[in-house]
Amino acid sequence: MSEISVGLNCPACGGAISVVEGDDTLICPYCDSTLFIEGERGVSTIAFKNILTRDGAVAETMQWWSRGWKARDLSRTGAVSEVYPIYLPFWRSSTRVAGWICGYTERRYTDDKGRTHVQRVPKEEMVLNDYLFSEIATDPGDLGITSLRNFSGETGFADFDMIPTFEATTGRDGAVERSKSDAISRARRSVSVPHITLERLHVFPRKLSMIYYPIWVVRYSYRNRMYMSTVDGVTGEVLSGRAPGDPLFQSLAITAGTSVGGLLAAAGIILSTLTVSEIPLVALMIGAGVLYLTYRFFRHGSEIIEGDFKHKPASGGEAMRGLGETARLIRGAYR
Amino acid sequence: MASIKCPKCAAPVVFDAGTKFVKCTYCDSQIFIDRSGAGFYYAAPFLIDEANAIGTFRRWAAGPTKAKNLDRLAEIASVTKHYFPVYMFKRTVGRKEQVMLEPARSTTLPGLHSLKVPATDLKVFDAAFDTEGAEVIQPDIEMLSYLDALPGEPVEQALVFFPIWRLSYVFAQKCYDVVIDASAGEVFAAGFPTRGSAAYVVVAVVGFAAFTLEGILALESMTAAASLMALTVVGVFTASYAVARRL
Repeated sequence: MSEISVGLNCPACGGAISVVEGDDTLICPYCDSTLFIEGERGVSTIAFKNILTRDGAVAETMQWWSRGWKARDLSRTGAVSEVYPIYLPFWRSSTRVAGWICGYTERRYTDDKGRTHVQRVPKEEMVLNDYLFSEIATDPGDLGITSLRNFSGETGFADFDMIPTFEATTGRDGAVERSKSDAISRARRSVSVPHITLERLHVFPRKLSMIYYPIWVVRYSYRNRMYMSTVDGVTGEVLSGRAPGDPLFQSLAITAGTSVGGLLAAAGIILSTLTVSEIPLVALMIGAGVLYLTYRFFRHGSEIIEGDFKHKPASGGEAMRGLGETARLIRGAYR
Repeated sequence: MASIKCPKCAAPVVFDAGTKFVKCTYCDSQIFIDRSGAGFYYAAPFLIDEANAIGTFRRWAAGPTKAKNLDRLAEIASVTKHYFPVYMFKRTVGRKEQVMLEPARSTTLPGLHSLKVPATDLKVFDAAFDTEGAEVIQPDIEMLSYLDALPGEPVEQALVFFPIWRLSYVFAQKCYDVVIDASAGEVFAAGFPTRGSAAYVVVAVVGFAAFTLEGILALESMTAAASLMALTVVGVFTASYAVARRL
């Protein structure tokens, strides 16, 4: 197997040199030659120190049990069976976006004769921002984590050998591409130009590094079933988790949803016999929306899922946005 | 841990799966580990034990789309521990690094066709590696059959054994298989007994319709509507509680 190891020498003087992963230049300590490193040189790697203790991770999870619509007896019945820290790899990239976005906004106003006018207000916005992007560098499996929320903390490789370190299994360049498109869309959102006519944006990838981030995995049982949560080893925040739901909350939700939704729908129907406007239809829509949201919780609330899991039923927020869009369409049809 | 000979002093130097540069502990020279021409064997430890795997299955089986009481009524027929082989290729294609995964074993087990190495702690797999009694499934597809067809220049290629629990269960006289990834706890299933949404939909629709009618009735007689609404609240709550508890 000796052919796989390559001894590194200064090509100028033959002296032994020392390369840190991710560096692209170095200076020979013997002859002061500046050397450029070619080929697979890796990426610079940072590890955050795990400052949360085992008891801390358990305490955070237990607090999390009592928040939200989880089973009421979870704090009494739940039993933590396993707690261990892992290091998860993340790509972190910093990208600078510079350029101009030009366009206009529309302003509507009604004059004294009751006519509506649309006025175009031209806009010209400069963009010069650095954006941080992170993405997990492996398949997240069932951990419910896909990106980092915290980028600060004490760094060091002190406990690196004691904690299982998950390997990076996704390519570097895919992460760079995604960080670029993420930076562009965030730059666009940072300026409020609703109608863009001209856009000149330049993207400069600045630094890519690999971050090993400490995360505690807590597995606990509830009525013979195993659930889990993950706790940030730096900030102590619960990042993701699965927990049992409670049938009481599910049935309360659907009772509230059918009553409020049904009464709103009734109000809409009654109003539609009295007036001709969009209000009855909007009332009906909101009624149906309330029913839909509470139904989702009724149907899927037996397991409470927090975090970026695969196969997660669409969240309430997404349903709300869908509802808002439908309402706008209806109002548009009325105009 | 694997070891290589230091190219300067021939002393053994140990390294692990993710290492790119190592320092010889004897002569202090820096060594780059070039994996482009060799094939490595990696494996990952079991982070989920048997009891945990069964518990994870029960949690999965209690999910809202699974058949009623599947978590309690499923009879577990067998639980086995395996190392499943997958090829991992790291290559530079047109100046870009790509990671490609290919199966190293033909299988009918669920989840193992999706071709990924789950979040895990890779170790060099050699004689010293402790498989903890798991059956190591040998690859039946050659690495070379993939290598020739892959684009770009090799950076690294490896055979990765990843730890899985295979669990067979019987429900309503039918046998089903699930695979549980033993490092990150993901559950894979090709087919499972499902539970329809009918009962949930009926409760929601009937309740909604009843409240709508009672709301309209309130125009005629407030008291009658109010008493009917009180009855409906009780009715919907009882029915939905029964459905949610899967009685």
